[in-house]
Amino acid sequence: MPSDLDKAPVGLIQTSDDGTFLRVNQTFCGWLGRSPAELIGKQRFQDLLTMGGRIFHQTHWTPLLRMQGSISEVKLEVRHADGTTIPMVLNALRVEEDGVMRHELAAFVARDRDRYEQELVQSRKRLEELVAEATRLRDDAKDRALFAEQMIGIVSHDLRNPLSSILMASALLGTGELSVREQRFVSQISRATERANRLIADLLDFTQARLGGGLSVTLEPVDLHAAVADGLEELRLAHPSRALLHVRSGEGPCTADASRLEQMVGNLVSNAVVYGQPDVPITVTSRIEASSFSISVHNAGPPIPPATLATIFRPMTRGVAAGSKSRSVGLGLFIVREIAKRHGGDASVTSTAEGGTTFTATFPRAT
Amino acid sequence: MSVKGRNHVQVSGSGPATMFFAHGFGCDQNMWRLLAPVYAKRYRIVLFDNVGSGQSDLSAFDKDKYGSLHGYADDVLEIVHEFGEGPAIFVGHSVSAMIGMLANLAEPSRFAAQIMIGPSPCYINDGDYVGGFTRKDIDSLLETLESNYLGWSSNMAPAIMGAPDQPQLGVELTNSFCRTDPEIAKHFARVTFLSDVRPEVSKLTTPTLIVQCNDDLIAPLTVGEYLRSALPHGTLTVIDNVGHCPHLSSPSRSASAIDEFLAKEGL
Repeated sequence: MPSDLDKAPVGLIQTSDDGTFLRVNQTFCGWLGRSPAELIGKQRFQDLLTMGGRIFHQTHWTPLLRMQGSISEVKLEVRHADGTTIPMVLNALRVEEDGVMRHELAAFVARDRDRYEQELVQSRKRLEELVAEATRLRDDAKDRALFAEQMIGIVSHDLRNPLSSILMASALLGTGELSVREQRFVSQISRATERANRLIADLLDFTQARLGGGLSVTLEPVDLHAAVADGLEELRLAHPSRALLHVRSGEGPCTADASRLEQMVGNLVSNAVVYGQPDVPITVTSRIEASSFSISVHNAGPPIPPATLATIFRPMTRGVAAGSKSRSVGLGLFIVREIAKRHGGDASVTSTAEGGTTFTATFPRAT
Repeated sequence: MSVKGRNHVQVSGSGPATMFFAHGFGCDQNMWRLLAPVYAKRYRIVLFDNVGSGQSDLSAFDKDKYGSLHGYADDVLEIVHEFGEGPAIFVGHSVSAMIGMLANLAEPSRFAAQIMIGPSPCYINDGDYVGGFTRKDIDSLLETLESNYLGWSSNMAPAIMGAPDQPQLGVELTNSFCRTDPEIAKHFARVTFLSDVRPEVSKLTTPTLIVQCNDDLIAPLTVGEYLRSALPHGTLTVIDNVGHCPHLSSPSRSASAIDEFLAKEGL
């Protein structure tokens, strides 16, 4: 080793092709607490590595030196004479000298870099653990939500039988000789049971929309105005104190599921009854245009707050009714939009203080 | 995804039998650059990269499938089916010698000869069996791998994988023969060095050559001896070579051992 390189601020090593030390500078020996005499001709470079490093030397270092003649920026733990290890970054070159192959190595100690990299590795591990934990929690939440929705479906379905028994029994009771008072109780039972039935129908539609393949819809030629008028007829009976206007616009054949349209009108009008200004009539418009048809329901009254408006078609979203006489679990609008979607259409809402609130479901006309 | 793309299969040469060359843990099919051309004049040659190594399709890497050597062996069988013509001669280095053995055991009729270069059926010492390593040594290897990215960076990976042979694109190619996603490298290291296929060895009925180096840290002489005695039709040839890659460091000695074996088997 030329004396000017003996104390260069870099470890310099020359080995034979099998790794046996041929020359080594003072810097390298000093770092490892070893003398040139105990290395040269006696040890192989790879003997100074940890076992992991020696495997790496066989599986990566040697093949790369053979294939590309050099290897750079390899970081290995090199064993000090006292048994500790020192992280070193190494470059190596495989060159021919007088007809034999030699390896020229340069090494420098990389303790700080090693510590820094350990920190990075640790941070990455922590991050990965956190991500895994978050993913697990999210999956758990999904499972629980799915389970809850399935429960809703099952319970709703099973409630239908006892309810229809009650309904049938109250209908039979109503046919007998009853006092006025008894008559009133029987009709209360009937109305309450029918409300419960509608709620269950909503819940079943909800679970079918969320868990099944979507709401079932049977598309047939339909007289839009007549279907809406039929729906309104029933609603007038249910809400005798409210004025319901029907506006018809345009003519022509439409394709839709008539009973789903009536369900939609029912949900929208029920909302308008609960949230609208009581002394202003509710207007239901059935409109047929060139390529689409629509049903809209308008009520006057204070507007829906913008924050609610953004999520109003999501399930379980409820407005604040004037009296706190809430009448559902907030599935009505979700079902309205699902019905519109199953027809290839969509539902929208506008709500202002001056104009009141209008829900509109728009459907494509069959082409 | 095609088998060819998945394993970066390269076919050359022609002859009455097909020689498959499978690289071990660490680098890729470039390891055969000195040995495979010797046989291209006599045999059809099939080179490939194990999934996760070299220019294999990294999107095909599946921790579960490649969680044991059997996942790699399934790929080998698919490669043999699709690219083999005539009898198959399977040349596997290190862990791929065992992967080849597992492929063979699944369909022995496909294989005429197994050539194992530096093989080991179990790297960890176990009772009287001396594999050469302890579990701690393998942990130390995993740490070493963690500190050495060898030219890898995940954001340049697509460019490298897409244009590996086009340095004119300005892609740094240093260390590319051993370049692997560090996570995949650690996974493969674990699967390789913690594997134990000793119970399978005695089932291998195909004539098998063990090319054993006289000085090999990864596959010591004792392991070669173990395999010779456990294999029903095993031939052990010890060659003078320091290190685990005689096909790179002693290609002519490796070829002589293989030639002698193939001649004896009439291939």
